[in-house]
Amino acid sequence: MGFESLFEFFFKYKPFVFERGDFVFAATPASFAAAALLVAVAVPIVRQYRQVQGNSTPRHRLALMIVRAAVVALGCVVLLRPSLVVATAVPQQNFVGVLVDDSRSMQIADGGVTTRAEQVSNWLNPENAELIGQLEERFRLRLFSFSDVARRLDDAAELRFSGLRTDVAGALEAGRQELGGLPLSGLVLLSDGADNDSESLTETLNALRQADVPVFAVGVGEETFARDIEVSRVEAPRDVMQNAAVGADVVIRQRGFEGETVQLYVEDGGRIVSTMDVELPRSGDSTVVRARFVADEAGPRIVTFRIDVAEGEVVCQNNALETLVTVRDEQARILYFEGEPRHEVGFIRRALHDDRNIALATLVRSAPNKFQSLIVDPDERFGGEHELFGGFPKTREELYRYSAVVLGSVEADYFTRDQLQMIDDFVSQRGGGLLALGGRRSFAEGGYAGTPVAETLPVVLDPPAAEAWHSELQVAPTLFGRTHPVTQFGETSAASAERWETMPPLLAVNRVTRAKPGAAILLEGTSETLTDPQVMLAYQRYGAGKSIALTAADTWQWQMHYDMPLDDMTHENFWRQMLRWLVADVAGQVRAQLDRDRFAAGETVTVQVDVFDDTYLAVNDADVAATVAGPDGREEILDLAWTVDVDGRYEASFTAAAEGFYQVDVTAVGRDADLGSDVVTGQAAELTQEFFGAEMNRELLARVAEESGGRFYTAANVDELPGDITFTEGGTTVTEVLDLWDMPLFFFLFVGLVGSEWTVRKLRRLA
Amino acid sequence: MKNRALARSTAVGLAALSLGAAMAAGLPVVGTPVPQDGIGDMREALDRAGLLRSRDELPHEFYFTRAIYTSNGGYWGRGTWAIDYPKADQQFVFGLRRLTNVDAYQGDNAVTLTDPELLRYPFLYALEVGYMNMRPEEVEALRRYLMAGGFLFIDDFWGSFEWRNFEMEIRRVLPDHEIVDLTLDHPVFHTFYDIDYIEQVPSVRIVNGGPTYEQDGYVPYVRGIFDDDGRLLVLINWNTDLGDAWEWVDNPFYPLQYSNYAYQLAVNAILYSMSH
Repeated sequence: MGFESLFEFFFKYKPFVFERGDFVFAATPASFAAAALLVAVAVPIVRQYRQVQGNSTPRHRLALMIVRAAVVALGCVVLLRPSLVVATAVPQQNFVGVLVDDSRSMQIADGGVTTRAEQVSNWLNPENAELIGQLEERFRLRLFSFSDVARRLDDAAELRFSGLRTDVAGALEAGRQELGGLPLSGLVLLSDGADNDSESLTETLNALRQADVPVFAVGVGEETFARDIEVSRVEAPRDVMQNAAVGADVVIRQRGFEGETVQLYVEDGGRIVSTMDVELPRSGDSTVVRARFVADEAGPRIVTFRIDVAEGEVVCQNNALETLVTVRDEQARILYFEGEPRHEVGFIRRALHDDRNIALATLVRSAPNKFQSLIVDPDERFGGEHELFGGFPKTREELYRYSAVVLGSVEADYFTRDQLQMIDDFVSQRGGGLLALGGRRSFAEGGYAGTPVAETLPVVLDPPAAEAWHSELQVAPTLFGRTHPVTQFGETSAASAERWETMPPLLAVNRVTRAKPGAAILLEGTSETLTDPQVMLAYQRYGAGKSIALTAADTWQWQMHYDMPLDDMTHENFWRQMLRWLVADVAGQVRAQLDRDRFAAGETVTVQVDVFDDTYLAVNDADVAATVAGPDGREEILDLAWTVDVDGRYEASFTAAAEGFYQVDVTAVGRDADLGSDVVTGQAAELTQEFFGAEMNRELLARVAEESGGRFYTAANVDELPGDITFTEGGTTVTEVLDLWDMPLFFFLFVGLVGSEWTVRKLRRLA
Repeated sequence: MKNRALARSTAVGLAALSLGAAMAAGLPVVGTPVPQDGIGDMREALDRAGLLRSRDELPHEFYFTRAIYTSNGGYWGRGTWAIDYPKADQQFVFGLRRLTNVDAYQGDNAVTLTDPELLRYPFLYALEVGYMNMRPEEVEALRRYLMAGGFLFIDDFWGSFEWRNFEMEIRRVLPDHEIVDLTLDHPVFHTFYDIDYIEQVPSVRIVNGGPTYEQDGYVPYVRGIFDDDGRLLVLINWNTDLGDAWEWVDNPFYPLQYSNYAYQLAVNAILYSMSH
């Protein structure tokens, strides 16, 4: 027997009725007279008790007097006619909106055979006396279906349970507005609560409460699946450069498979590009694994993260999650400035020899006033063969054309104060990447402490030691570095750790032991003589960009060292991935994005474009246009308008008519010159998100009911809903007085009190 | 061409003269003859003789490294690898440090081909290779060195006889790689100095009125061997003797034009190897 049943047994009505009603004494003059008479009778009785001696002590007599007085008081209370005053709906004078979840998650068969949709359909059958039959007897019903949008239904047979999203808040708001002009007793919500599209639930609930529209929510399905594995979420970059190693955080949740190991497959267009073993967490918990794969094919790629369906799983569709990754076959231009000839230059350039996605424009100060310019793939936009002839850029326009800057062993004094500030701004404002390499003129040894570049770096520059310091250090990844795409030297974390153990030591000549708060350390160096580990590789987000510190001075040892096999590609891969990482997320002057990468056919998609000039100041008066090429080959031209609320931001929308890829080419023209272009891709596809997080969301449904003044039900007590909804303050109601004097609790109290008095008297032989 | 060179008064010339004077003033120039008790023991023998000075505490970026290899013949009990050693090396490094930003170790650094330490020095100098006769393990070690990223600078061998010997030896190391003449538009001639001719640098005998050539090596060549990616692995200076020009730059009777050229080409080669 549950609490509510027990409560109803003693108090005659359910707690819900007490919550809705006001407690009063509906006494008549006769009642008062009777009560007065009762008190009058009680007085001599009490006096009589005081005179009784027998075997009793004063304490016994006091107890007997209290018990007798309580009986009298109880009688008085009953005679004063305690009652509940509640508002009840007038039969057939009020409306009730029935909102039925029509999304795909309702197709899940929690119980194994019966689906949620079948259960709901059963409730909606007019012959069903459990719910809809009773409701129809008392109310005029209006039926709605909802998924991403809500719509009126004439008949429950119109339900398809095929919606691609669930927007509970939208459905409630639609129901409230649709029935706003009618006497509305409440809304009945039949849903699994697997909401994935609501944005403003709190506002909706406030509006319902103010309008006195309670929601009676019925949770459909199981709160916890017996057995299920779900790839809940994937955090992967939207845009990557071709051949970049991509790290994706994959959240996996499970029930019923605790401690088991499963394989996670990463598939690019159906081709398996990576696999890894995953030990499943405790039941109900989530685990995050870092999957690594190489994006070797250019273009928009659908990358699937999949775990094989295990026996007995309730939902099979949530074992795979797809994400759209745009692999760009573009060339990023990086400025590498080296203050002295170093072998590192040659080896890095060699590592990038046939890498067409990274163009390293190298400037080496070969003598105090002489520079060696090493230009790969001359580009007229950068001066062609004459690129960097003027030395390190002296203006922001010149510097900001590059995607990233690599600073080698060059002292801070080489730069003017403005150039140092430019480097800082390059990262924080332009959003470029900065990589600082170790060397005898780098970091604190190069005099960078106190300069703007020191602010940019992810490491703390302690004052250099009085005597030059150097050490050969064994390098190992930190916990974070083990699964980072740049420092994971193997298919798996374990293989990578093993590989790192055999890597030759590297020389460091800059003592760096601390990373800044907010920075992440990927590699540390240790030796027998060091007390604190050396920070070998650290990075941080800085403003709009990213800064990386690599304190090693001779990574070329990873190519040339005696212990390195000749065919080993670690050095090449390290630098290719390092520089890809450095320029990842570095955008140009025109930055386009869609409000979502994947959408359903027929949905409206918004193109959002940020436009900057060549010093990366927002431009509000540009002509921005987009060409949307759909899967059927048709093109649509969009004129984007400045949004006004954000500087340099322009927006326009298009409708994705059919399933397939939509490529959006954006160009921006300023007052004086072209500002640039960008390309962004989205995909219209059949979405499967309804099957993720598909357990019945009791928390959400109960919150909806509680905050709106309604009540939450499950299949076990849904038959109580028709009765409860009668006690509503919305719509056309009448006030009812419900007697409480005859509730069983009074009877049991009376019997209990009299019985205990009798027992005491019997034991003391008083009568 | 030589007249043009003579007419040019470059900073290199002045620098070379000044460093020559410095060398003559006090730096050790000639090493003690070392008994050749097996090439594997040569490094140890040199250490014993005190010819390899201990390195500074702080490692340098660049070590002018001379290859110790097995050869037929030699001088004063040493193999041919040791010709001009260590004075030429020391004097060249002196100039390299003066003329460029290269953080070069001021000293000599002779390493056997089979020493794993060799792989710490991506630039390698070898001369008198006309008498080179590498043991199989040296061949293997040199191949590994070059394939891993090393750069070999060949100097001071003359005539067709010595060429044939060197060609045979280098074919053992790089059997599938072609030896090609480098044209003057190759970047190695323009990395630091613009070199627009190929000089025949004579040995020190020029001070006694000797010819610029030796044997039948009348025409100087600069040749190269590239890997499959186009990286220059070996730079071959044939019918010329850059090492003598470094070694005798402090000799007032040794013509400056040759030392100029010798310094220029070697500086270019080093900067080229460090950046390519």
